[in-house]
Order: sequence, then structure tokens, then C-alpha cells
Amino acid sequence: MTAIAVRRPQRRSALVRREARWGVLFIAPWIIGFLAFTLIPMVATLAFTFTNINLEQKDPLSFVGLRNYQALLNDGQAWDSLGVTLRFALIALPVGVILPFLVALLLSSRQLKGAGVFRVLFFLPYVVPFVAGVLIWQTMLNPTDGWVDVFLRAIGVADPPDWLRDTSWVYAGLVMMGLWGIGGGVIVYLAGLKGIPSELYDAARIDGAGYVAQLRHVTIPMLTPVIFYTLVLGIVEVLQYFLVPLVLNQGTGEPGGSTLFLNLYIYKSFFGYHDLAYGSTIAWFLFGLTLLITLVLFGTARRWVYYASDR
Amino acid sequence: MRTPLMRFAALVAVTALAFGACGGGTTSPSASTESTAPSATTAAVATPSGPATVPPGGPVQVRWFCCLGGGDDESQQKTFADLIKTFNASHLNIKVVFDHTSYEGARQAFSVKLASGNPPDIVGPLGVGGASAFEGQWLDLQPYVDRNKIDLSAYDQGAVDLYKAGGQGLLGIPFAIYPSELYFQPDMFDEAKLEYPPVKYGDQYKMPDGSMVDWNYDTVRQVALMLTLDKSGKNATEAGFDPTKIVQYGFEPQRDDLRTMGAAFFASARLLADDGKTAQIPDAWAAAWKWVYDGMWKDHFIMTDQVYRTPAFNGGGYAFNSGKVAMQENFLWDVCCVTEAGGNWNLAALPSYNGKVTAAMNADTFRITKNSKHPDEAFEFLNFLVTGAGKTPMLNAISGFPALKSDQGGYFAQLEQQKDDKGKLIYPSAINWDVVTQAIQFADINPNSEAFMPNYNKSLDVLVKYLTRFTGTKGLNIDTELGKMKTELQAVFDKAS
Repeated sequence: MTAIAVRRPQRRSALVRREARWGVLFIAPWIIGFLAFTLIPMVATLAFTFTNINLEQKDPLSFVGLRNYQALLNDGQAWDSLGVTLRFALIALPVGVILPFLVALLLSSRQLKGAGVFRVLFFLPYVVPFVAGVLIWQTMLNPTDGWVDVFLRAIGVADPPDWLRDTSWVYAGLVMMGLWGIGGGVIVYLAGLKGIPSELYDAARIDGAGYVAQLRHVTIPMLTPVIFYTLVLGIVEVLQYFLVPLVLNQGTGEPGGSTLFLNLYIYKSFFGYHDLAYGSTIAWFLFGLTLLITLVLFGTARRWVYYASDR
Repeated sequence: MRTPLMRFAALVAVTALAFGACGGGTTSPSASTESTAPSATTAAVATPSGPATVPPGGPVQVRWFCCLGGGDDESQQKTFADLIKTFNASHLNIKVVFDHTSYEGARQAFSVKLASGNPPDIVGPLGVGGASAFEGQWLDLQPYVDRNKIDLSAYDQGAVDLYKAGGQGLLGIPFAIYPSELYFQPDMFDEAKLEYPPVKYGDQYKMPDGSMVDWNYDTVRQVALMLTLDKSGKNATEAGFDPTKIVQYGFEPQRDDLRTMGAAFFASARLLADDGKTAQIPDAWAAAWKWVYDGMWKDHFIMTDQVYRTPAFNGGGYAFNSGKVAMQENFLWDVCCVTEAGGNWNLAALPSYNGKVTAAMNADTFRITKNSKHPDEAFEFLNFLVTGAGKTPMLNAISGFPALKSDQGGYFAQLEQQKDDKGKLIYPSAINWDVVTQAIQFADINPNSEAFMPNYNKSLDVLVKYLTRFTGTKGLNIDTELGKMKTELQAVFDKAS
């Protein structure tokens, strides 16, 4: 009880109060930025969903209740865009989670010479500005003279795919572009691999475990927190997938609407059609969906994610 | 009328979207300054003049918003700044303030300003499309034109009609126009042993077999096929021609907008029916899109989007400028950059469709917003730019062909004298500039290709989607696609009502 009394603000020393003031002062830029660019806009967009605000509208601003949410339920394009997003996620997520893991395994192998060089090479594309990367890939995947199709023709593929204009191949093309960004995931996995105690491998070897058994019973279980982290971030990223289709096709959704992702539809509603109310409604729907999936994932985590500190 | 709540919400929207585009927003002084615009007629260059003293309360602030059309270029910005300085120095009752948002963000920024009840006073340079996106927001200038005795008969009637087309009065004074022409590469015609396209509207074309035929799109197709060459030198009419190894294309349409990709060159039409509600696909436009589509995917004399996006053929966004295209349809504003196509290009007459020539036309001018707080002062500045001392520097800055007939003759003479940094003449000699002025009579005035459509930005989005689809996808049934496009447009139009 005495200790609590001592910690009451009026009993703080001048030094503590001065430090607190300086602390608040130092953190103030972030707080101001957070309020101005995150919290207030979020609250504002939530409020917009119940209004008819549209920068092109002739009608006065009014409260419309749940009309925007009702419109969302009846908007075929929104559901098509959600379908596009989920279809792409089914392809992109496994690649985005598993491939960096496999690359990290290779890079951490003792047999690999010059591992440092490879690490740098894998990470380098990650630092290339994203839009520049998209434009480079767009050229590389061009069916006329892009390197990928030139290579495929050279090895005998008579009619290589039009990666970015064929609905059958466009997701493969987009995933291929995404491969350039795996450097970040590789680094995270590498850090996780370094953190696995070598005694566990020693013990496994003594028990007669080969490479695959060690991978299955030591490496993967010990890496589940990293896999979980990568998976959560991957889901959030894929649900927010936006920039690549915007740069590739000016956000038209071509070919055949297959790249009109939900986040792109939000962008178009806001900045193309100036419909702030409806754009906000889809944005909050996407936020809710992302939150729901993330919560479900966290709910399953205790069944498959191993935290040594929990034991 | 905007409510205060609407204004507040729009301001919150500004923050929420982090547009960061806020204008001066100054309240005007209450001085009721009478317009002191020079009583300029368009035939004479007006000298800026204004009160010699600053009125009580300070000068009225007039905000000039740019750039919903052109104007982003650094050299243009410098000219604009100089013009403001000149005007402000001679008009102590007015202070013009430049409010610049680059083209990419200009529509959003302008929307926010309108919605927040803080519209700029004068906007430009602005094309028909940019203005159509904000239909109903422009001031009728007819009373000002009458008061200042501006002689509109000094302009081509078509150019004047362009600004009356909406039935809302006179929304602009003709300033810069950009008729379209056929650009061609004489060397490629020589190499193929083909006659050059006619330079006079109505003239026929002499085919290689000596027959004389109308200069229409069928003829252009045949000529373009002969000008399309593969790597081995075979043209697109010869056996063994390899369409996967084309090194020179015969024709390039204007591909910035689906409405000008063939369509507006086939006929003056629009996608909105006369009832103002119904989406329509004009027959001539459907024919134009099929012609272009077949030219790309069947006949191969027009490059597909996949080829167009390659550095070798892109030409900085205009494929003709790559020097690997024999003919292109484009507006006059492309002369700025066509110099990159090599030193020997020229201009010719556009072909006809069903016996009638249509020359798509772009136009730039300045407009005053309907809710401007200072329309009189804004008009004074507009008059300075469009008919006064600011006219010539402004036209030069935006490479605009003068809408004022008496200025047109001298335009090409001064253009021919222009030199690059090394003192070399920019334009080849003996350009057939006459086809430019000839084309004005065939311009698509009413309707113009960029005319208003309900829910304009969303309608444009549909058009961009189909432009991308047509230029990038083989094996389409264009009739089916146009049916889909019409349905989508109708849905967008319906949402506006």
C-alpha cells in the first residue's frame, strides 16, 4: 500500500516529472501523426459509411443509415473483387510463406559456399522501389520480347503465355513478380533458424534422426512462431494487394476483371469516382474481414504454434 | 447549395484522405471593384490596365487553378508565373494567386475544393474532357463577352459552338485548338514505292497499280498493309510475312482514349443518347473499333498493346515517335514531340468514312467557376490570358494553335523558325501545315468526342477498361464486347440519376 502511495503523481520527484514531460514531448510527433493520419481518418471514414458524402454529388450531405452497407451487399463488382482477392490469395500465400522458408533453409546450409553473397543477392530486390520493380517485371514478362518468353521459346515452348493479359496465367505472372519480394521473408526465417538451439539437433541425431526427421521434428516446430508471423502478415498483405495491378493496367482490372482486387476497387471508389461514403464502406468491410481472419488464425495458433516460453 | 455541414465534412475528407491540397481560401475584401477589363476585341492585343492604386482593404484575390489539362511542365509554369507577375503589376486591385496541383491529382484536388465551398476562380488550361468531368460547375461567360464587346465572329464558328454545346450558355472563349491530322513518314512511302497520302481534303489516292481511289479507311488499310514490314523485309500483303517479327508498322491510331481510338475519326458522335440518359454505341464508332481491332489482331498493321509497351516501339507513349510507324492519326499537340520520329515526317489529310471526313479535335481554354466569389475580377484575368497581352505567351507555352482566325496564319511561320538548344531548326522544311487549317471544318464539334457523360469519371473508367481489353486481348468478338460495354455504361449512367 505504501509503495502505491509513493507512486501517486503528486508525490513524483521533479526529475521524474521533467522526464515525463520530455518523454511526452519526444513522442508528440508520433502521437500527432497517429491522430492526424490514422485515428481521425479511421473515425472519419467510419462516419462516412453512414452518409452520402461524394465529392461529385449535387445533393446536400445527409445521414443514410445502413444504405451503403446494403449497397455493398448488392454490389456484384464488390463480390467479384473479393473473389479475385481470395483466388489470388490461394496461390500467392502458400508461395509467399513456403518459398522464403525453403530459400532460408538452403542459405543456412553448411554445405553452401558463399552464403553471405547469396543472402545479399536474395535481399537486394527487396530494396528496389516497388513500382520500379513492377515496371521491370512488366518488361520481362512481355510476350513479344520479354526475357521470360524469349527463354521459353529458346527451350522449345512454341507459344509461351501472355503472362499479364491471359486470365489463365495472370495470377502466375503476379506471383512471379511477388517472388522479388521474398528477401524480407528469407531474412526473418534465417533469424528464426539461427535461434534454434543446436542441442536439439544434437539430441535428434543421437536419437537417429536424419535430415528430414530433424526438419519435421525440430526445425519446423521451432519455427512455427516465425511461420505464424509470416502467415499473418502475408494474409494482411494479400488482402491489401493493390499496387501491382494499379501500375500494370492503370487499375482497369484487365484481363477480364481478373486483377480488380478489392483494395483496388476501394481506391477507385475513393479517388476515381470520389465516392467517399461507398469507398469507406468497402474499406471497413475489408478491415472487418481482415480482422476476422486474423482472429481465427490467432485462435488456431495455440494448437500449432510452439512458444518455448509457454512451456 | 452546399450546407455548412457538407463543407465541414468535405474538409474532414481532406484530412482523412490526406490530400494536402488546400488553397488560399482567403476571404475577399468587400471592395466592390468594377471590372476594369480593357474593352478588348479579339482582333487587337489588349494592354493590361487597371487602377493605379490599391483599393481599401487590399486587392481582391483571384485563385487560378491548374492543371486539370496541360500546364505541368516546368517551362510552362515559368511562363504562368511571369504572366501573373505582369498582370498583378498592372492591376493593383487584383492579386492573382497560382494554385497548382499536378495533372495526376488535379481532379481530386479540384473536387475537394468544390465540395468544400472553396472553389478557385479561374481554371485552365482546360480541355473539353476536363471540363466535362465537372459539368455544371462553370460560369456562363456570355454576359461578360457582351459587356467587353469581344467579337466572337473572329473565331471559327465551330470553335465557338464547342463551348455552347452543353446548352448552359457560353462556357469558354475559344483559345487554343488542336485539330487532328494524318502524320506520315515520306521515307517509308518512298521505300515501299507508294504515293504519299493526299494533302488536300477531297483528293483521291493513287494506288501502286495506277488506279485512283478515295482516300478512306479501306484505302488506308491497304496502304498500311504494304507499309508493315517484318524482319525479312516482307510486307503484310506478301506470302511468308511473319507477324511475330514486325519491325515497322503501317498505322497507329490515337490510343489515349477509346473515344479517339478510331471512333471520333470515323464520325462525330457520343456514347450518351439525346435523351441524356441512355447509353448507345454509335454504328460508326463500332465500325471504327472493329477496324482498329482487326488492324491489330488480324491484319497486323497496327501494333498490339503488348508491342506498344516495348521500349523499341513505345516512342515515349506515342508509337509514331519511335520512328517505326508509317502513319498515325493524332492531334496537333503531338507536333511537340513528333520530332523524335526522325527528321522527315509530314502531315496529310485524314481519310473519310462513308464519304465523310471527321477530324477529332481537342481544345484548351480557361473557365471561371460558377461559384467563384470574384467572377468580375476572374474574367478580367481570363480576358488578359485569352485575348489580351497574355495570349501569345500562353499559346506558345502550351503549344496551342490559335482559335482566333487572324492569328492562325502566323502560327506556323513562327513554328518553322523554332530551333533547339543547338540552334538547329526543330521542324522539317515543307511541312504541309495547310492540312491543319483545312481540318477545322471537319472537326467533331457537336458532339465532341470528350462531351459530357453522366458519372463522367466512372464512365471513363469503363472506357479505359475496354481500351485495355481491345488492345491487349486477341480473339474477341467485338460486337459481344460492345454489348457488354453498353450495359456497363448504362449501369454507370443510371447511378448518376
